[in-house]
Amino acid sequence: MLVKIASAAVLGLEAYQIEVEVDVSRGLPGQSIVGLPDAAVKESRDRVRAALENSGFSSPPGYFTINLAPADTRKEGPLYDLPIALGMLLVSEQIAGKNMDHPIVIGELSLDGSVKPVNGVLAICFSLSKTPRQVIVPAANADEAALAQHLEVIPVDSLRQAADFLAGQIEIKPHKVDLEAMFQDEPEYDLDFADVKGQQHVKRALEVASAGGHNVILIGSPGSGKTMLARRLPTIMPPLSLPEALEVTKLYSVCGLLDRKGCLITHRPFRSPHHTTSDIGIIGGGRIPRPGEVSLGHLGVLFLDEFPEFEREVLEVLRQPLEDGQVTISRAHSTLTYPAQFMLVAAMNPCPCGNYLDPLKACTCSALKVKNYWSRLSGPLLDRIDLHIEVPRLKQEELAAQPMGEPSKVIRQRVIKARELQQKRFNGSSTYCNARMTPRQMREFCRLDKEAEELLKSAIMHLQLSGRAYDRILKVSRTIADLAGETVIQACHIAEATQYRTLDRKEMN
Amino acid sequence: MKLLVWPHMGRESFWQGLDGEAIAQKFLVEQNYRIIAANFSSHQGEIDIIAYDADTLVFVEVKNYSFRCYGSPLSAISRSKRANIIHAARTYLYKNKIKNVNCRFDVITIYRQADGSRQVELLKNAFMIN
Repeated sequence: MLVKIASAAVLGLEAYQIEVEVDVSRGLPGQSIVGLPDAAVKESRDRVRAALENSGFSSPPGYFTINLAPADTRKEGPLYDLPIALGMLLVSEQIAGKNMDHPIVIGELSLDGSVKPVNGVLAICFSLSKTPRQVIVPAANADEAALAQHLEVIPVDSLRQAADFLAGQIEIKPHKVDLEAMFQDEPEYDLDFADVKGQQHVKRALEVASAGGHNVILIGSPGSGKTMLARRLPTIMPPLSLPEALEVTKLYSVCGLLDRKGCLITHRPFRSPHHTTSDIGIIGGGRIPRPGEVSLGHLGVLFLDEFPEFEREVLEVLRQPLEDGQVTISRAHSTLTYPAQFMLVAAMNPCPCGNYLDPLKACTCSALKVKNYWSRLSGPLLDRIDLHIEVPRLKQEELAAQPMGEPSKVIRQRVIKARELQQKRFNGSSTYCNARMTPRQMREFCRLDKEAEELLKSAIMHLQLSGRAYDRILKVSRTIADLAGETVIQACHIAEATQYRTLDRKEMN
Repeated sequence: MKLLVWPHMGRESFWQGLDGEAIAQKFLVEQNYRIIAANFSSHQGEIDIIAYDADTLVFVEVKNYSFRCYGSPLSAISRSKRANIIHAARTYLYKNKIKNVNCRFDVITIYRQADGSRQVELLKNAFMIN
């Protein structure tokens, strides 16, 4: 006797179909699972046995051979419990498979026979079938699975329910979610730029950064509000579009980081790994590579506080994803590519004691100490950061004042408008924001008027800017012009953009 | 039945064991088991009772307790004990050319109560071969 049930395995962000083949032969009682199962799959034996008995079925007699085909790929995780249990019930004829539309079945079993949620359901539902198909998923994953609207999602909470459904004894209504409704209400944030006192120029710079997708470094003495400002950055970023939201949700689903209540992530992610994080933690890795912080910050913000305190290797591995917008991780078993289009926001003190640029407090660091501190950041890395912003300590009167800033909502409206302009401009190319313009696109779109050209020339002369800094200034001024709604870059835009190149000026080096 | 006192076993335990097996057999017959052999041994292990429960061949291990113990009776049958029983079962199937029959391992536990009466429990499908 042989029964086949379709299930799925996740590899990276993609999934492929698995056939769970259950065969029984008469003889001494036993069970073996083949098809390169990992420990969690092997342990399903005990869970399935207990779940069967506690669901009112009997543990069927005979020797069971369970094959997870294709046999040459490694199978991970507990998601095969439910298909194995259903296969055993079908093969021992404890239930009749009347309602067998060859559904995809996934789910972890608890010893009491209830079905528990598993990771990667969204990835499975999106990559397995382009045509309408039945999928039987744990009830806790139903919302997530139903995001794939072409599928007929059957949520089950127990083995008994799943078995009765297959036997045609009960009907379960396919689960549906309303995607439009999820996107209608604006994402709500607890934080707001209106809470921040002073620091007008930093707020403006962050607005420019989020409008053009530019990377930012905030430099300031301790307590000046670098972290506070950075944390509020997602509140002024444009909301995620549906395909973007699905992409982010897929990533979080694969990592098991999805909040079970709200199935779709509509907020831009904000990741702030501690500075002791390893390079693998940042980039991703493992025997079967898992996404790292750069991928978890995909389409959102990767905030690195105390930037120079990170290990040098950690900072250097950031270079490639900053350039490519994706990371490819190769290990003996598999090579996987994860998206990593994040906006880097770094924060640091100007020197080890933190008071180097402070007008009031004296810096106690020696010149060598300051130099060593800065030398932890390599030139190529700083080159990839478009905006350098000084965050000065607040003055007495500013501290005492009530916070009176623009609310995030207002800023976000301007950012959205600027992004829309960019989308129109780059329509059809892989570029999606000003920060990622190619040299050719720069020549085409960064037109300067006469006055602006003169100003830029004199800036290069006086500030001794490098070729790279020149490019950066052009890109940033393009964004500033977009925010102003201008098609040609004017002198004032260039002037503002030049300000954001603190580190290119002499005094910092 | 070989009448032999094992060296590690007191005379009393031996008779108690035989007594227990008799009680187990009687209990199984009451449960509609058809007993076909008892105390079958291979060179590695021994099976106390072999019986048919409907068309399933059942290898039964009898455990005697002179006190009420806690925990599963399954835990009283160690991994090596299970291996011995499985070996004996395989030998039995081979010697008697039994093929294509569903088999099962049951455990009978017999507790001796304080008043001398016995309490019998049957655990069906107590373990599997792997």
